[in-house]
Amino acid sequence: MDTAAIQTQGLTRRFGDLTAVENVTLSVAPGQFFGFLGPNGAGKSTTIKMLTGLLEPTEGAIQILGKPFGSNALELKQQIGVVPEGMALFGRLTASEYLHFVGRMYGLDRATTLQRTEELLDFMQLANEHKKLVTDFSHGMQKKLALAAAVIHGPKVLFLDEPFEGVDAVAAGMLKSMLSGMLTRGVTIFLTTHVLEIVERLCSHVAIISKGRLVANGPIEELNKGVVSMLPDAAREQRLTLEEIFLAIVGATGGREQPTQELSWLA
Amino acid sequence: MAGVNLEPAKESASRSLLGRRARAQYAALAGLRWHMLKNGLRTAGGVFELGARAFALLFIFGVMGLGLSILMGVTAYQLILRGQWIFLPLLFWAVFLLWQVVPILLASFQEQFDMSSLLRFPLSFRLFYLLYIVFGLTDISTILGGMCCIGLWVGTSLARSDLMLWSALSLGCFATFNILMARAVFAWIDRWLAQRKTREIMGAVFMLGFLGLQLLNPAFYQKKIVVPVNAEQRIARQQQLVEEYGPWVNRANAVQKWFPPGLAAVAPRRFAEQHTVTAVGSVGMLGVYALAAGGLLMVRLRAEYRGENLGSAPHRTDAPPKRKETVLAEDTWVLGGSGVIGAVMAKELHCLLRTLPQLYALGAPLLLVLILSGAGPSLSHPFILAFPVSLIYAQLGFTKIIYNNFGAEGAGLQMMFLSPTPIRTVLLGKNIFHATVYAIVLLIASVFAALRVGVPTGVVLAATVAWLLFALPSNLVAGNLFSLLVPYRVNPGRMTRQQGSRANALVSLLAQGAILAVGATVFGLCALFDRLWLAIPIFLGLALCAVSCLVWVLSLADGIANRRREALLTTLVKRD
Repeated sequence: MDTAAIQTQGLTRRFGDLTAVENVTLSVAPGQFFGFLGPNGAGKSTTIKMLTGLLEPTEGAIQILGKPFGSNALELKQQIGVVPEGMALFGRLTASEYLHFVGRMYGLDRATTLQRTEELLDFMQLANEHKKLVTDFSHGMQKKLALAAAVIHGPKVLFLDEPFEGVDAVAAGMLKSMLSGMLTRGVTIFLTTHVLEIVERLCSHVAIISKGRLVANGPIEELNKGVVSMLPDAAREQRLTLEEIFLAIVGATGGREQPTQELSWLA
Repeated sequence: MAGVNLEPAKESASRSLLGRRARAQYAALAGLRWHMLKNGLRTAGGVFELGARAFALLFIFGVMGLGLSILMGVTAYQLILRGQWIFLPLLFWAVFLLWQVVPILLASFQEQFDMSSLLRFPLSFRLFYLLYIVFGLTDISTILGGMCCIGLWVGTSLARSDLMLWSALSLGCFATFNILMARAVFAWIDRWLAQRKTREIMGAVFMLGFLGLQLLNPAFYQKKIVVPVNAEQRIARQQQLVEEYGPWVNRANAVQKWFPPGLAAVAPRRFAEQHTVTAVGSVGMLGVYALAAGGLLMVRLRAEYRGENLGSAPHRTDAPPKRKETVLAEDTWVLGGSGVIGAVMAKELHCLLRTLPQLYALGAPLLLVLILSGAGPSLSHPFILAFPVSLIYAQLGFTKIIYNNFGAEGAGLQMMFLSPTPIRTVLLGKNIFHATVYAIVLLIASVFAALRVGVPTGVVLAATVAWLLFALPSNLVAGNLFSLLVPYRVNPGRMTRQQGSRANALVSLLAQGAILAVGATVFGLCALFDRLWLAIPIFLGLALCAVSCLVWVLSLADGIANRRREALLTTLVKRD
C-alpha cells in the first residue's frame, strides 16, 4: 500500500481556551482529490494552516508524503503548493514579477521559471495584464494568480483554501480542468470550499469538520450510505446530494444552537 | 410587521449634524474607538504599544511642541518689541511648513483611522466630512502646529496687549486653514497614489521638486558668516542681518502677504498701525483661504462618499485583446541568478521603485543635507565634523525601511513562510538589498556633502567610513529584531490611513539614538583631543562586533519567526 500523501494523528490546535481543531485524524491517499468541508468557523482554515506549516499544532502529528512535517519542513514545503486564505500575493508586483519571485523562492532555474511563468499566465488568461500591479487585479484574477503561484514548482500535494471564492464561471471551469489534469498526473489535492457542487463533481473523498471535530470521513458514496441508513425504510433507496449529506451530518444549524426567535421584522 | 420596529428615520434627522441619528453615530464611533483601545490591551504587545504612544505623546511631542511653542513666542515677542514686523511672516511660514510637511514624514508611524470604512453605514455627507476633520485633530502636526500658534499668540499678546484679540482671530483662521489644508493635501495624495498614472506623475513632480529645491542652498549661502561669540557681536550680527536681508525680505513680503502665512502675520501688524480695514481684509482673506481648503477637501471627500472606483481596471472595449508577442518574462527579470537571495532583492527593488513614500523617506534627508550643510563653508572657522554629520543625517531615511522589514509585505508574507526558504535567508536578502541602497544613498550624500562643506581630509573620510561600517550592521541587527518582534502593517500605496506602531517607532528611535550617540561620542572625544585618527580603529572594532551580532541575530531569526509566526501573520496579513 502506498504511503499516505497527507496523514494526521490527533491534530489539535487551541487558542487560549478555545479549541479550534480537536483530535483530527485523517489520511489522504496519493493522487486523491480530497474535499475538506465544514460550516464557517469549524476549523477548516486552521487545519490547512497547520498542514502547510503556517500554524503550529498544539498537539498531534502531521506527515506529508510519509515524512513528519516538523523536522522536514523545508524539504516538504518544496513538495507542496498552497493557495492560502489570504492568497499570499504581493500587491506592488506585476503578475510575471510575482511568479518569477515565487519560482526563484522554490529554487527553479531561470529558464524554467520564465517558461512556466509565460505558460501559466497564458493559461490563466492573465498574459494581457502584464503591466498591471497585483493590487489592481480583481479578486478573481488574484485567485488565478495565487493558483498559478501555487503550482509553478510542480508540487506533489496541493492545498487549496477556498480557491473558487469570487471566481467567475468561466475561470472556475478553467481551474477545474487544470486541477483534473494535475490529478491524472498523480498530484494529491486537498480542497476546502463552500461550493458543494464542485466537491461533488471533483472529489472522490470527503471529510467534514464541525466545531473543530472530524464528524465524517470517507468516499462520498459511503457517506451517502451512512446518512441514508438513518432514514426511514421508504427513503433508503434514494441518492442524496452532497448538500443533503452535509446538512444531515452537521445539522441545518451547522452545529450551532437553533435561534430562539425568528427575525419577524425583516420585510 | 410584528417584532422590532425599525421605522426608517426621517430624512431631516439623518442629515442634521446634531440630530438623533447623528448623535447615535457619534456615540457609536466613540464606542468603537474605546473598544479598539480596550481590546488592544489584551496582549502584551498592545500594552507596550499604548505605553509607547503615551510616552511619544507626552515626552517627545509634548516637549518638542512646548519647545517650539516657546521658541515661536519668544521670537515673536522680540520681533514685535523691536518693531521688526517684516520678519514676523517667517515664523508663520515655518509653522505652515511644519503643519503641512510633518504629517508626510510621520505618515507611516501614525495610526490613522480609515474613514472610508464608515461609508457602508447610513452616514450623511456632512457628518462624514466633519468626522474626517475631527479625526485629523489628533494628528501630531495639528498638535505641534496648534502649540506653535498658541506660542505666537502669547508672544504677540505679551509684546502688545492691544493685539490680543486680533492675533487670536488671525491665528484662529490660520490654524483652521492649516487643519483643512493638511487634510485636503492628504486626501488628494491618497487619490493620486491610488492609480498608476497619477502615481507616476506624482513621482516625476516629486523628483523635479527635489532637484529644484537643491538650488535653494547655493542661493542662500554665498558669504562667510562670523559666528557671534559675545553679546556685542550678536547685536552687530543681528543688525547686519537686518541690513543685509531686510530689502530682500521686504521684496518677498510684497508677494507672500497674499498667502495665508503672510496674511496671518500682516493682520495684527496692520491693526497695530491703525489700518483696521486692511487688518479686517487680511483676516477675511485668510477666511477665504480656509474656505477654499475646505472646498478642496469637500470635492475629494464627496467623490469618495459617492463611491468612486480607484482601481485601474481597463475600460470595456469591443476590440479583441492584443496578444502579447514577446516573452514578457524576460524584461522583468532583474538581479540575475536564480538564487533565493536574488529573488528577494529583485522583489525589494520592484517594490521600492513603486513606493513613493519609501523613496521620499530615502530622499528627504538627502535634500536636507544639501540645504542645511550649506552653513559649513560660510562659517569663519571650518567645522571639521560637518562631513560625517551630513552623512550620519542622510542615513536616517533608512530607519522606517530597515526597522520594519516585513511591514509592506501584506499577504505576501505568507509566501515567505510557505516557501522552502528559511526566514533568515529572506532577511539576509533584504539586508543585502538595503545595504546596497544604503551605499548608493550615502555615496550621493557624500558628493552633496563634499560639494557643500568641502572635501574632507583623509582621516575624516576614513573615520566616517569606519563609522558607517559600524552603523550599517548595527541598524540591520536592530532592524531584523524589531521587524520580527514589533512589526506593523504598512500600506505602501498610501501616505495616510496607515496603522502605524508607536512601539516600533519608539524602539527604532532609541536604537537609532544609541547608534548615533556612540558615533557622536567617539567622534567628539577624538576631535576634542585632536586624535581623530583614533576613531578609525575604534569604529572598526565596533563594526566587527556589530557584524558578529548580525550573524548571530540571523542565526536566531528562524527560531524567532517560527515562534512568532502567528503573531506576525495576524499583524501583517491584514486586509486593506
